[in-house]
Amino acid sequence: MFDVIVRGGTVVDGSGAPGFQGDVAVKDGKIAAVGQVSGEARQVIDASGRVVAPGFIDPHTHFDVQLLWDGAAKPALEHGVTCVVPGNCSLSLAPLKAADRRAVVGMFQQIEEMPPEAFTTAFEWTWEDFAGYRAAIEKGLSINVAPLVGHSVIRLWVMGPAAQERAATPGEIAAMQDLLRECLDAGAVGLSTSFVDLDEHGRPVPSRYAQAEELDALAAVLGEYGRMLQVVPEFYATDITIARIDQLADLSIRHNIPTTFSPLFDTLAVPDNAERAIARVEEQFARGARVWPQMQTRPIDISFSLLRPSLFFARLPRWVRILRQPLDQRLAALRDPETREKMLADLGPDGGEAMFGRLIARGGDACPRALVGKTLSQIAKDRGQPAGLALIELSLENGLDVAFLSAGQGHQVTDRIGPMLAHPLVHIGASDGGAHLASFSTYGDTGYLFSEFVRKAGAMSLEKAVAKITSETADIWGLKDRGRLQPGLAADIVVFDAATIDREDELPVFDMPGDGMRYTRAARGVDTVLVNGAVAYSGGAYTDAKSGVVCV
Amino acid sequence: MAELSRQRRFVTPGPGETVEQLAARAMPDQPLESAVDRIKSWNLHVFAMRRPPGLMLGSDVIFVEPPVTHA
Repeated sequence: MFDVIVRGGTVVDGSGAPGFQGDVAVKDGKIAAVGQVSGEARQVIDASGRVVAPGFIDPHTHFDVQLLWDGAAKPALEHGVTCVVPGNCSLSLAPLKAADRRAVVGMFQQIEEMPPEAFTTAFEWTWEDFAGYRAAIEKGLSINVAPLVGHSVIRLWVMGPAAQERAATPGEIAAMQDLLRECLDAGAVGLSTSFVDLDEHGRPVPSRYAQAEELDALAAVLGEYGRMLQVVPEFYATDITIARIDQLADLSIRHNIPTTFSPLFDTLAVPDNAERAIARVEEQFARGARVWPQMQTRPIDISFSLLRPSLFFARLPRWVRILRQPLDQRLAALRDPETREKMLADLGPDGGEAMFGRLIARGGDACPRALVGKTLSQIAKDRGQPAGLALIELSLENGLDVAFLSAGQGHQVTDRIGPMLAHPLVHIGASDGGAHLASFSTYGDTGYLFSEFVRKAGAMSLEKAVAKITSETADIWGLKDRGRLQPGLAADIVVFDAATIDREDELPVFDMPGDGMRYTRAARGVDTVLVNGAVAYSGGAYTDAKSGVVCV
Repeated sequence: MAELSRQRRFVTPGPGETVEQLAARAMPDQPLESAVDRIKSWNLHVFAMRRPPGLMLGSDVIFVEPPVTHA
């Protein structure tokens, strides 16, 4: 007697081989049989007309905190994602001394655009070490987790405030190595670091103060375990990205470790950016290195209002400082003629037309309906104001609750992106799931892979797309019992309609702690998701199953 | 082992190293002032775009030649 049989679907087993009509049987959380399965099961799932595939793996997320109150990492799971990798970009929630929590929350707030209330109101922060964090999330997981440990927090643990002041001493580097070993023993899938990020005070994050010797020493520890090094490079500058690829390649070869950098964007502003980076990756793989560029499927669209700080203003530090103030102070600053004059001066002589003119009013509870869909350039012209002033005054007139969309910021040309995603050395990922909450939805990239690049563009076959986000991801990350429908492996399974799987429209929802807002996208075409053999999502609803594990 | 194509040469700063010290190390045949000026001009990500400008970090990539022309 099996626990579950998924019957009569097109089995796309994750290997890249052609799909075939068959069944998948599950017993004790593992795949027990694949093919024409006879016998009975306690639960039979009719998959006729549907694809049955391994659960998808999302290798670049920031669900670190959300997992503490939402073990499904909603809505990731309903998109068919059965394993997420949090802890990217040098930031994790362990190891972290209580005294350093505020500083790291500030980094998450600044870098990943996550509200501080998410860290203070929804759970009791009881742990300091990595094992403690693991135990805290394991209490309620519906999804599998392969957590990275962040270089910045390791540095902070060992060096305290000096982590953002200076190079480490040999003794401090040795202490970081020991701490990394402890984290890897406790279930970390690897180490993440950042070469670009700033904290909430505009200071480089701790990992950026590391000398090459420090990173080399930590990579040596990763080599003891064969674990991953993840890096966020200066993705906006091709020459620097290539230099980072070379650094990662040297570490990969010297310590026999996999490495990955994310994101790799395509942008028409620098049309050969991704092409040159991929060419260098090819050369380094030929040399024996493993340097996997992560590329997201979705275009870059950023939404914002003046109610919250936004990534959109990253190049306007004065605006960032003002928008991060409490609401009453922010309103006062936006109304203050002297402050406003300085803000407008930051936009240049055209009054913000070049920077803001193409923004589209997309809504917000207070946005006048007649304005929805109009560009800020049109709105400003109608008001007889420069674009920057129109943005501020329109927002003030409506309690700041007017949302704007900056569409097509890059990575939006399907005919360019498709062949890159299909490239054998390009790792599909970089979703940033769980981050940038009020700027854009970080969910549904897998649905978009199928709708845009399989069905619409034909950039790759269904089987290839499934393999890219299942077996290939598992192999890259060393997740040995995931990513394939194969007897003996974990029964992470998604049943979906190949003709309709997609992401729904991006919508604001208010489900974050403290009634915080985030943009999300629901799934389309995903029928059933099993995690370690238990049905975690079915027929449009989550179940009570808590079968997720830390799967390293 | 496969050959790598030529890419732009770079160094990383040593602990507490100044741009003058880095320039002397990376471009020993150049007059110091000229070497510093060149390094600053080739590394706007550190010497122009960063706040405060010129704050060098141990993890930085510092180019020691201009961009390589690609066909």
